[in-house]
This record gives sequence, structure tokens and C-alpha cells, in this order.
Amino acid sequence: MKLALPRLGNIEVINETIITDMGHELVEVPPNSKKTLDLGVRYSPEYCCLPLKIALGNFIEALELGAERLIMAGGWGPCRFGYYAQVQRDVLIDLGYDFKMIIMEIPRGNWMTLWDNINILRNGRSWSYMINQYQLAWQKILLMEKLENKVLQVRPREKKRGESSRALKESMIKIKKAKDLKTLKQIEEDTLSKFKDITDFQKKILIRIALVGEFYVSLEPFSNHHLEEKLGYLGVEVVRKNSIEAWIGPIMRLKIFKDSFKEEKEIEEAAYHYLAHSVGGEGQTTVGNVVLAHREGLDGAIQVIPFTCMPEIVAETILKKVSEDLNFPTLTLTYDEQTGEEGLNTRIEAFIDLLKKRRKKVVMVS
Amino acid sequence: MKKKKIGIPYALYFYEYYPLWKEFLTRLGAEVILSKSTNKNILDLGIRSSLSEVCLPVKVFYGHVLSLADQVDYMLIPRMVCVEKGAFFCPKIIGLPDMVKTSLTSLCPIINPVVDIRKSYGTWKNSLFQVGQLVTENSLAISRAFSASWENFQKNYVANILDPKTLRPGLLNIDTNSARKQLPEIPINIAVVGHDYLINDSYINLNLIEKLKNMKVNVLTPGMVPPNIVKKQLKKLYKPIFWSLSRKVTGAAFYYFENRVEGIIHLTSFECGEDSMVGELIHHQSQQHPGVAYTEFVFDEHTGEAGINTRIEAFLDMIRRKKRNEISFTPSW
Repeated sequence: MKLALPRLGNIEVINETIITDMGHELVEVPPNSKKTLDLGVRYSPEYCCLPLKIALGNFIEALELGAERLIMAGGWGPCRFGYYAQVQRDVLIDLGYDFKMIIMEIPRGNWMTLWDNINILRNGRSWSYMINQYQLAWQKILLMEKLENKVLQVRPREKKRGESSRALKESMIKIKKAKDLKTLKQIEEDTLSKFKDITDFQKKILIRIALVGEFYVSLEPFSNHHLEEKLGYLGVEVVRKNSIEAWIGPIMRLKIFKDSFKEEKEIEEAAYHYLAHSVGGEGQTTVGNVVLAHREGLDGAIQVIPFTCMPEIVAETILKKVSEDLNFPTLTLTYDEQTGEEGLNTRIEAFIDLLKKRRKKVVMVS
Repeated sequence: MKKKKIGIPYALYFYEYYPLWKEFLTRLGAEVILSKSTNKNILDLGIRSSLSEVCLPVKVFYGHVLSLADQVDYMLIPRMVCVEKGAFFCPKIIGLPDMVKTSLTSLCPIINPVVDIRKSYGTWKNSLFQVGQLVTENSLAISRAFSASWENFQKNYVANILDPKTLRPGLLNIDTNSARKQLPEIPINIAVVGHDYLINDSYINLNLIEKLKNMKVNVLTPGMVPPNIVKKQLKKLYKPIFWSLSRKVTGAAFYYFENRVEGIIHLTSFECGEDSMVGELIHHQSQQHPGVAYTEFVFDEHTGEAGINTRIEAFLDMIRRKKRNEISFTPSW
């Protein structure tokens, strides 16, 4: 059975662990490109959000390469994400492809579907083997995110431009090939020491910005036009607030106890004054994270949203007020299928200049 | 004692729930002030006070809130979260009280009870009770007012629904000879599906319903489809829809496809997230019913009518021409 997964940042590191090693055949989805976007945009409903379009592009490319089953995440609203799989399935069927979609989600009444899906993924291997593999995959995700977060600190301080990104890429390839936890540990140590080598520790005080907003756009560099790298090269330390760990962590850790939601609670409390109820997606999280970023003493926040995103527009409306109340600069960047970058660059640079001036003023006053 | 004035902006979900709130509050002795139907002034107010990225219905809602602001003591903006199992309202509706509060400063106090039937504090009874306590301290009166208005709301809501037997398409009953003589007069059934706040707001939909009626079209709306039929139709979907308002739209559209009305017009508003997904589902379904013409109208802030007129005329011409051909091909025995 040929399986394919949509892309999201470096998530491909787990492909071999959960697909090839389980005895399936893997269809490597090509990296997101202009072609992916074009395919997705051509066949998706016009006002759908960007992640749906890019993921649809991924699926079309995968099906062209012979994929038979597509794995997609699901959900139960009110954000549109929960309905992606259904719409994509309809579109792909209309296009005449023959495939089956495996939607991974917490079921509502349809436990049999989940059972079937798990069995398809298990592919006749023993349960202990499967659990083992998924634990390894989880560790890979944790390591991947740890390194990605580390690189955000290293990049603005690197001695030679581009070195940290290269080091990260190399370790991602190694993580992808890793077969056990011991290797992962080794990779972690190697990469961290490499990061140390390329860091210029003279540079200490930098502008620090929180990156908040919609999950996919903030984690997939193609969709946000490599925003993290751009900011890094401008000498800005980015603090990424979204993570895959926080997204599926509570499920993967199988902790139903309250303390696994401790961080979410904190964010919720921070947002409560402005947005008292969850609005689906990352709407409330975005507001909460901006308030927390202010408390942590960061210089500003950038909110990235796909055009027409429902929860983030609520957050954007509210962020205006938050920013005013706390005297905390925020910038909202909306992404759609336009790929021109100059407008984006100008806005980022202007925002960073503003933050730098602000900081000078604060120093002078104090 | 002076009567308390409570303002209800006549937009978004209030098209559905306004009768309930109005009767309840009036019974308790409050004065309910309803905003006027949408006009240029209201739309302009809304556009000016909201972010450009917000969808049209929410902008209209802002306009209604502002138009009421200086006439009332309180503004009623419930936080509608969940009114049936497994379905929510759209994120913007859930966040609506907060959006209004943060972007419109110096507004009168907002009453925002949470309606979320999954939680004990959010059942209809409890959230109306909270609001009632603002008006009167007599809890017995509140309970009575609730049960009376709830009953009326349920009864009238069901009474509004048409008998499904009236939906038979006219084609079979037409005497072919006389139909050929008076071609443009063939009565046709067009289902206009979309959210209530688009179908019933004649300023936003540029008077679409009246226009259709003037062109001798029998207009059918989602409100005419009984809830149990909607539920049955939704079983066709691979995955249930989790938006309450869109459930009705989709179920009704599927029902009309099956009952072979001549055409279906899907009304959507610019930037509406639900419509973008649901539109695709209806479009997908329409391909299995080639006999039913289907089109989609997107409404935004523009109020020029010529474009929409052309589209309606073209759509109806297409249907009438097709119908004429069907009739002339009917064997004469």
C-alpha cells in the first residue's frame, strides 16, 4: 500500500518510522513549491484558507506519483481545519483520482473507523512494535522542534550567514534515518555542539519577537515565505509560540490528567480578559501568547495568518486593543497565494526598525 | 421605575433567535429596541469601524450595534457557542462579544450570556435567566416568561415550515400546448439557499428575493425544509458538518437537489469561512444532479445592482430555455 502524508515543516522526519518501517510503501511528497501552490489553488474553493490549498497541492502531487492512501489530520471545529479532509476528498474525487483517505482524529461515535485506520497503519505488525515505532516518531518530533527552536536563537548570532540553517538541515536528514533513541541522543549532542561552534557569543542583546498565529502558516516556512529565516538574518531572535508538541502532545503522552494541560491553562488565563471563550483554531492561544510575550519582556509580536482564517481574524481584531492597552507592538501578516516578497520584506524591516528605536528610547529614558 | 431599554442588533443569528429574546424581555417588562433593517448608513458605519478582513455579515452586525448605541441602556450580544450536539457556531460568532467590546470603545454595557447547551450554565434556560435578572429580581416571573416565550418560539418556528408536498416541480402538471404559447410565464421553482441573514436582508442581497418573485419565480428557502429532513439529507456526507447554521443550508440544498427544483442559487458572503467549505460540498453534490442548474452569488460591500441583475436574468433564461426544449421534446401522446 502506497501512503503519503502532507508536508508541514520538517515533519517528514517521521515518515520512515511510521510508514516504511511498518511495511508500507512511502510516496515522498515533493517539497512545497510554486507548483504545489498552483495545483492547490487551481482546484480548491476560492475563499478557503491557504493550508487547505497547499495540502491539496501536496495530495495531487502524491497521487500523481502513485499514492493510494492519503493520511490527513481532522478535528471537530469550529475551525475549518476539521473539515479539510472532507473537502479535499470531494475535490480529488471530482478530479478522478482513485484513493482512500485516512483521517486521523478523535472520533465522535465512529470508533470503528478509527479502529480500521489504526489497523491499516499497523499493517499486521505486532502492537508492541507499532507502539515502539510511534514512540520513536514522537521523540523525533520533540528533537526536531527542540533543534528548530534552538536554531532561532543561533541564527541571529551566527558567525557566517546561513551556517545554522545548513547545520539544521544536516541534522534533519540524520534524524530521518535514525532507527533508535540512542542515535537520536547522539544527533542531539552533535548538533548542539555544532551550534555552539558557529555562534558568536559577543552578540548578546538582540531584538526578541514572539511568532504567534495560525498553526500551519507559522510552522511551514514555504507558506510564510521563510519568515523565521528573514527575521534571523535581520538580527532578530524569534520565539516560536506554536509547536507540534503542544498540538498533539496531550494526546501522545496519553496524560488525561489535568497537569498536561497546564500550559494551555496559563495561556487561556492570560487571554481571558480580552477573549473569554475559545474560538477554535489558535484564536484564543494567539491572544494569550501575545499577553504572555509582553509579560516575558519580549519586544514585540508578529501574528501570521492565512487569508480568511476565521479564528485568527477574531484574534487580530482583539490584538489591536491588546497592543494599545499593553503598549506592545504587534504586526499582523496575512498570507495568501501571492508569492511576491518585497512588500513583506518592507513591512518586516519597518517593524524591526520601529522596535529598535523603541528600545533605544527606553534605554535612554531609564 | 423607568423601563430598561435593551438593544438588539438585527443581524447575524438574531434573524433566527430574535423572536425568543424579544418576547422574553418584553414579558419581563423591559423595552426592546430593535435596530432598523440594514441601510446604507448602517453598512457604512460597520465598514468604517471594523477591520477590512472581517467578513461582511460581521461588518453589518457592527453597523447595527453602532446605530443603536446611543438609544439603549444595554446591548444584547449573546455568545452563541453550541445549540445542538456536535455542532458549533462559527468562530467569529463565538468571539463576537469580545470583538465588539474591543473594537468599539465607549459603547453602552454589553449583555453577553453564553449559550452553550453542553455546559450547565449555558443552557437556554440558564442564559436567559441571567439576562432576566438584570431586568427584574422576581425569579418566578423570569421562569414563567421563559417557558411562555420558549413555547411560542418553538411553535412558531415549526409553523413557518412549509408542507413538503407543495414543493413538487411544476413541469409534470403543465399542459404542454398552453405552456409553449406563453413561454416566459412557465412557473419555475428556484431554491435560494444560504444563511438567514443573507436571504432575509434585502439590502445586502440587493433585493434578490423580490427580483426573483417579480420574474415569476417560486422562491424556496432553507427555512421551508423541516429539521428532520435536513438531518436525513446530511447523512449523505462523509463527515457530519459541525456548524449549526451551515447544517441547515447544506441539508436544504441537498433536499432541493433531490426534489428536482429547476435551479439552486447559493448565497454566500465575501470572506465567509463556512460558506467557502459548504459551497464546495453543495457544488460537489450538484454534479450528481445535472438536471438542476446551480450557481453561486457572492455578496460584498458593493451595492451596484446591475451585475446581479444580469446574472439572475442569465440564470433564469438558461433554465427557461432548457425547460422549453424539454417541453417541446415531450411526445405528444
